[in-house]
Amino acid sequence: MMTMTTNSVVYRKKPQKARTNRYSVRVTVSALFLGILAWSVALNGIAQEISVHFIDVDGKTIAEVPAQRQEEQVYLPVDAVKQVFDPDMTDQYNYPRKRLTLKTKGKQIRLQINNLVVSIDPGGQTHTLPTPPIIIAQEPMLPITFFTQVLPDFDNLEAIYNPSLQKVQLRPKNTWTPMVTGNSVDWAIIIDPGHGGADDRGCESNTGLLEKDIVLTLAKQLQQISKQQGMQIYLTRQTDAKKTHLERIQVAKRNQAQLFLSLHCNASFSPHEKGIKIYLNNPKGELRFPSNVQSGPAGQRLKILAQANFLKQSRDFAHTMETELNFLTEIPVKIIELPLVALSDAYMPAVVLELGYLSNVEDLEKLSNAEYITSVAQAIARAFQRYISSINPSVPQTVEQ
Amino acid sequence: MKHNSSAGFSRLLVIWGITLVLVAVCLAATLFLIKRSKQSVVPTAPPPLPTAANPSDTPPPPQEVNLFLLDPTTLTLVPVKTERRLHTTEPTKRLNQVVTALIQETPPNFRNTIPRGTLLNETYIDTQQTAYLDFSSHLSEGHIGGTTAELLTITAILKTVFDAFPDDIKQVQILIDGEEVKTLAGHLNLSQPLHLFQ
Repeated sequence: MMTMTTNSVVYRKKPQKARTNRYSVRVTVSALFLGILAWSVALNGIAQEISVHFIDVDGKTIAEVPAQRQEEQVYLPVDAVKQVFDPDMTDQYNYPRKRLTLKTKGKQIRLQINNLVVSIDPGGQTHTLPTPPIIIAQEPMLPITFFTQVLPDFDNLEAIYNPSLQKVQLRPKNTWTPMVTGNSVDWAIIIDPGHGGADDRGCESNTGLLEKDIVLTLAKQLQQISKQQGMQIYLTRQTDAKKTHLERIQVAKRNQAQLFLSLHCNASFSPHEKGIKIYLNNPKGELRFPSNVQSGPAGQRLKILAQANFLKQSRDFAHTMETELNFLTEIPVKIIELPLVALSDAYMPAVVLELGYLSNVEDLEKLSNAEYITSVAQAIARAFQRYISSINPSVPQTVEQ
Repeated sequence: MKHNSSAGFSRLLVIWGITLVLVAVCLAATLFLIKRSKQSVVPTAPPPLPTAANPSDTPPPPQEVNLFLLDPTTLTLVPVKTERRLHTTEPTKRLNQVVTALIQETPPNFRNTIPRGTLLNETYIDTQQTAYLDFSSHLSEGHIGGTTAELLTITAILKTVFDAFPDDIKQVQILIDGEEVKTLAGHLNLSQPLHLFQ
């Protein structure tokens, strides 16, 4: 009986030991696997596949390039250089030394993985990138800054990158020169921040954000940016003050302005409506005054007839602004023509820009973001430059090399 | 014991009999009083029968009216059918009824683009086929603002009016508390009568 008990004890101990061993092996293998995973993540991070759109100055797509996003940085394959800049580009990658050499447009560009410095020959130029090239899935990948800061230079282009939409716009390098000659002002632009004062707050978001405050912030930034570029910018109000439409137009008349831009924020009864809209004053637009305007008061007739002369220029400026603002938004900017009171006394090219809907969550988020407001100000400033250059051929848009 | 039970039974019969007689008397008295009260009312002349010479006394038959409301998914103004008893001969009164219906109507799944609480003070149609719609100041003061919202409000009014009066009204002038206004919310020019580009 005793023997049997002993035997039975021995018999029971053996499988326990075997199970423990198997368990240890599993734990070790799992730990090893997790370790390798953690190590590879630490080295490379987790890459996310995205695509980057390269567009030209008119918003037309040049190329759509597959890319990888890793730790908030965007990397593109070497082939993207061929797709976007030079189909004849050749590349060579030295695996042991992790060196990448690109030959394009008579230049030799040398990069090293995990190194910020880019060498360009002939000439011995160097350029320091904010992010180095890295290896993802055993392939060398170039940071987006290489495409926006180094390559455009070879074609005398400049690149503007919109990280939220993964868009890169390539445009002729700007050579804007101040339009002021001596003391005479060639160009004066009026920025009209809509509404203002305690009685005229404009639209209001459900978070308490006010249209009159957003447009004033943007107007001041736009004034600052454009003044740095040599344009004469006047605001119809500098503070949260109430101004009549006539008082606003008088600022334009006083300064002999040649362009009038009224800034507003939109609202709708549907929370789904969103996007940027540009409005032109046209009494014969979607909503229209009667065709027998001849029978109206003389002042009214004069206004309508006189402003018809500026409609084409207003449309041209609206289309220029549309192109620039399309770069910022996933929804195409719309241009609508209506009889508008804000522009009814403006005897010059004039448009109303509605920046977005305070009744829409996504637009509200954008309009609450200071960086977005700055990017809108920059886009409008670019539109000013392009518009003025287009109607004044003496001002070159690009420098011939 | 047997004698006692038969006496109790006959007493019960008597009680039931008396109760039935009393109920019958009460019923008869009630009927008599009702009949008498009806007879005591002074007879009045019967209501006049509707005639062609007096049409305002007949309720007009219900008519279908399209009210233009916002479909929040398609973001467009769509005609929503409703039935209204409209004045058949007076366009001004009919116009008042149609625009009042537009102000009041908010069926599910649609958005009304007229600020809630707005009143229609007066309507008028002149010889030039211009309809004048005089709203209370709430149309302007209660408006949410924005060019899109302002355009939706004006377009909903215009579309509803032109749909209901295709031959009688060519343009619409919006007034606030009897006065011409430059704008509703600071964007659209309402200083003149408006019509829609078809």
